[in-house]
Amino acid sequence: MKSSTKILTVIAVLLVLSVIVNPFYTIEEGTQVVVTRFGKIVDSSAMAGLHSKTPFLDTVITYPKTVMSLEGDSQRIPTKENQFIVVDTTSRWRITDPVKFYESVTSVEASYSRLSDIIDSAVRTVITSASLNDVVRSSNLINERRHEENFALGADVQDVQLPQITGDKVIYESISRGRDRLSVEMAAIAKDKVKEFGVELLDIVLRQIKYSDELTESVYNRMIKERSQIAQTFRSTGEGKKAEWMGKLENEKKNLLSVAYNKAEKIKGDADAEASRIYAESYSRDPEFYGFWKSIETYRKTVPNFDKILSTDMDFFKYLYSPNGR
Amino acid sequence: MDSRSGNWRQKFPKWLTPSVILVSLAVLLILIFSLTSFFIVDQTEDAVLTRFGKYYTTVGPGLHYKLPFGIDRSYNVPVKLIQTEQFGFRTVKSGATSTYSNNRTSESTMLTGDLNIVDVEWIIQYRIMDSRAWLFNVNRDVRNSTIRDISQSVINALVGDRAILDIIGPERTAIETGAIPMMNDKLKEFGLGVTVINVQLQNIVPPSGVQASFEDVNKAIQDMNRLINEGKEAYNAEIPKAAGEAEKLIEIAQGYAVERVNRAKGDVARFNSVYAEYRKAPEVTRKRLYLETIEDLFGDEKGTTLVDKKLDNLLPIKTLEKTTEKGAN
Repeated sequence: MKSSTKILTVIAVLLVLSVIVNPFYTIEEGTQVVVTRFGKIVDSSAMAGLHSKTPFLDTVITYPKTVMSLEGDSQRIPTKENQFIVVDTTSRWRITDPVKFYESVTSVEASYSRLSDIIDSAVRTVITSASLNDVVRSSNLINERRHEENFALGADVQDVQLPQITGDKVIYESISRGRDRLSVEMAAIAKDKVKEFGVELLDIVLRQIKYSDELTESVYNRMIKERSQIAQTFRSTGEGKKAEWMGKLENEKKNLLSVAYNKAEKIKGDADAEASRIYAESYSRDPEFYGFWKSIETYRKTVPNFDKILSTDMDFFKYLYSPNGR
Repeated sequence: MDSRSGNWRQKFPKWLTPSVILVSLAVLLILIFSLTSFFIVDQTEDAVLTRFGKYYTTVGPGLHYKLPFGIDRSYNVPVKLIQTEQFGFRTVKSGATSTYSNNRTSESTMLTGDLNIVDVEWIIQYRIMDSRAWLFNVNRDVRNSTIRDISQSVINALVGDRAILDIIGPERTAIETGAIPMMNDKLKEFGLGVTVINVQLQNIVPPSGVQASFEDVNKAIQDMNRLINEGKEAYNAEIPKAAGEAEKLIEIAQGYAVERVNRAKGDVARFNSVYAEYRKAPEVTRKRLYLETIEDLFGDEKGTTLVDKKLDNLLPIKTLEKTTEKGAN
């Protein structure tokens, strides 16, 4: 009973001692430390593993060794042409010199705002010196492509030629720097300045670029105009085609009817001629008799329509006054 | 109270002796030991072990032993799992029919190379290839956001290099395939230990403010088709009719022609017959024909006035007579 109390006491004392007088500390992977004694830096290490220190006197301050990220503010920045764009950046950095870092900023939290100031200003400097094209594009690839738009026109319009519906091939201003280059330039400007904090800046990335709200509005309007011009082309093409069909209709209709008229008249004429020939062939054998015969035939048809007063001069009445005739 | 607490104090050592405490401590120690020295690694995972904080080894799936009391630490990393990040939209509910929330324009709005605006939604699929690098090279809080940032900047750069019509249409695949190596280069630069396997563009649409006008182009195409069809319809309605009309004209003419010739033939045939008879006795036939005709003409007629040219004043009287007759009627 006494011995077990002793053991228990020894364990308790050892435990308390190891907590208070712990001469060991570990550095986890991905971290680094500075060791200060009475506020003075006595050691720094980035080697993961078990390390020793002087108990009571030394304080271990741990910093990350890993890559850190910094969200840039969404900044409204004018380009060289004075067009306002909203630039959203993000950057990677890490603490390379923990001693310098301890001296200049001490805590990671405090470093964010310092770094942010430097990076935002670098972004601003570079963007204001660049043209909008330089910011948006990374290369001149755009000029190698044919910007042909494919429209689902449907089967009815295979014969429709849509000349230049999306306009001529536009040659865009060629750029010399481009987005990637600008990123590198920004990083280069900021890199020197953050070195004083014992920090290495790995990159500044242009995550997203947007037009400012006012500019967005006018870009929308331009896009709408472009589209409605295309829509208009389609509609007038349709109207043109319809007119074409109507013209074709008119043309073919007239054509058909006039050809038919032509044929019909020709047929009639031929028949008239034929009839005429038949008559002439027969009647010319005795024109005098024909005259007589036709006349009396005609009298039959016409005379009954007249009011008649007959004169005794007529041949018919030759024997009216005398059996021997006149 | 006092006596009771005294009793309690007296009773206390009776069963809670130092040896009992020792034994229970030992049991506790063994419990902690076994709990901190065995760990399970799933089939989808690798585990990284650190000893005193320093990288020690990487082990595969199964049950493993490590030094207890936090001397060894294990970190499980899902290295076989293909993970997905979504941009411009999120899956709200995943299932046979998933629901999505779209219009995260803060991610999807981009500028195109021809300075237009477009909304692009996409996903990336990636896998952790190097669990040690994944754990220790990039700060744990920003690992995911780093992947997202890189993905976003790459897609923005690729979209920024192309014209809007190309992005919506033919360059889609080029962006997808071009993005993978660009993202991987960047990821390698930071030693994230991650490889992007797949980039898939989802919706690529003009921004909502101009969608109506993009739609209008499609409507215009429909209008064009409709107009053309109207033209064709009118043509098809009229032309066969006109062809019929033309046919009719010709048919009528042909009818006329046949009639005309036949009549001529008939007339002539009659004349010929009469003439043949006439030739046999011209004088008599002529007189007969004349007289027969006159008979036909006046045979049934009444009230015809016969005038002798030598008489005067008959005509006016006759006229008067006729007028009164008409008046009486």
